[in-house]
Amino acid sequence: MSDIRATEIMAAAGAREMKDGEIVVVGIGLPQVACFLAKSTHAPALTPLLEIGVANMRPKDTPVGLADSRIFYRATCWSGFLDVMGMNLHRGIVDTGFLGALEVDRFGNINTTLSREGGKVRYFNGSAGGNDVASLAKRVIVIMRHEKRKLPIAVSYLTSPGFVGGKAREELSLRGGGPHRIITDKAVMGFDRESHSASLLSLHEGVSLEDVLANTGFPLQVPDSVPKTPLPTPEELRLLREEIDPKGVYLGAVG
Amino acid sequence: MRTAAEVVGSIPDGSHIALGGFAIARNVITVVHELIRQGKRDLTVSQGVAGLDTDLLVGAGAVKHLIIGGGSLDRFGPVHCINRARETGSLLWEDWTSLSLCFRYLAGALGLSFIPIKSLIASEILDRLERGTGADDVKRMQCPFTGENYVAMRALQPDISFVHVQVADAEGNCRIDGPRWENEEQAKAAKRLIVIAEEIVRTDVIREEPERTILPAHRVEAVIHQPWGAHPTAVFGRYDYDAAHLKLYIEHSKRSEKIGDYIDTYIRGTKDHWDYLERSGGLAILESLKAERILGY
Repeated sequence: MSDIRATEIMAAAGAREMKDGEIVVVGIGLPQVACFLAKSTHAPALTPLLEIGVANMRPKDTPVGLADSRIFYRATCWSGFLDVMGMNLHRGIVDTGFLGALEVDRFGNINTTLSREGGKVRYFNGSAGGNDVASLAKRVIVIMRHEKRKLPIAVSYLTSPGFVGGKAREELSLRGGGPHRIITDKAVMGFDRESHSASLLSLHEGVSLEDVLANTGFPLQVPDSVPKTPLPTPEELRLLREEIDPKGVYLGAVG
Repeated sequence: MRTAAEVVGSIPDGSHIALGGFAIARNVITVVHELIRQGKRDLTVSQGVAGLDTDLLVGAGAVKHLIIGGGSLDRFGPVHCINRARETGSLLWEDWTSLSLCFRYLAGALGLSFIPIKSLIASEILDRLERGTGADDVKRMQCPFTGENYVAMRALQPDISFVHVQVADAEGNCRIDGPRWENEEQAKAAKRLIVIAEEIVRTDVIREEPERTILPAHRVEAVIHQPWGAHPTAVFGRYDYDAAHLKLYIEHSKRSEKIGDYIDTYIRGTKDHWDYLERSGGLAILESLKAERILGY
């Protein structure tokens, strides 16, 4: 099975987090791939939403971003922020929100605003809908590359809240349930119910615990025995490679 | 019906303008270019997710105060001029989120003085707003009925909003095809609303499908008719983004000493949008960007 790419394991892991009939807010890239994989397998009645005002799109060409007309091809509804982020997310009915990140810390706080390297601040895209999704979705799943500098003890800028300061979401007055999974190219992490700190749930095929610990900047809770992340099934691999991302645009590299 | 030059001529320096673009879609390029040609200064610009439009205005030094939820040119790159301005502190800026700005426009459109939200809470975005130029626009509050904690935000009513649309009649009845991000709330919050339309149709056409009218004529002060008016950004159903031009822009915008060359060549060195389109490759390029009817891009 050495020909299975980490991105394919990530997409399958993301897909398994979605249940049939749920509502998910996705961005482009692997979250979208995971969502279409879930829809093509166990969750045909899953409803993907895009923050710009799109429901249930069926793109056939690869978009460069959320503003690309390719991503909203064959949607069932076009609206706007007020509908998707106001009357769905803020209303409290979105089950899962997928987010990318420059940095995620042990409490699932997300930075998409800036980096500090050698004392120099560099700005990036900021929140857009990220803070809204992190604040309001019932569960938040981050998909990212597993690097020490991207998984620090505390984020350089807290754009989107997780369990801030290790506190429960109710205590923070946040409506959404908060961080649920961090899916990387090495492992799947969850969050401890008591400490709200990140804990290792599974290791991908061919990845050692030492490798993950060496590439994680925060103290990761590790259970006594760590299972392997389930590999994509042959049918999932076929869907990913032949139907969902045949050009390998998203599955070719970890975003 | 007015020209971009006439409309922009009526905007005083220091105005708060709101832009209807999102990243690389339906940017009000016609108007942004004209604001730069006329040398407008000290503008406050607000927008949900900034794109090429606001990045150009910042790059040209026209902006004093930026109020945005985020910014991106999608996979083509970041909004270099905006990011550089933040790094060097050359303008005042406030970071919000897509939904919080949409809510602030909504409050403005409804004539409410404030609106509560459950985003922003426990984030550094809120901390920075409270410590910065946004201090007067956010307050922590409790619901008078349930006691639940919210962030109250002051309504936003820009002096003027610009929205690029596919179709309008001469009176200003507009259709927007594809998703609309915060267009409607922003447009209806503003004190003045100007639309830029790809195509002008007779009002009889509008009357055939009135449910498609997103912004009705009585709210619109003027219509600017400018085909290809959002180039090099995309207009759903009309044309795709111009990838080659966006790459050329990024090549210039990523270095502070080169952005001026772009602005001189494509904006200050052209007399109007038609002249800009000619400079950008003219009909041969535009023809290649035309949307396929079924796909919309």
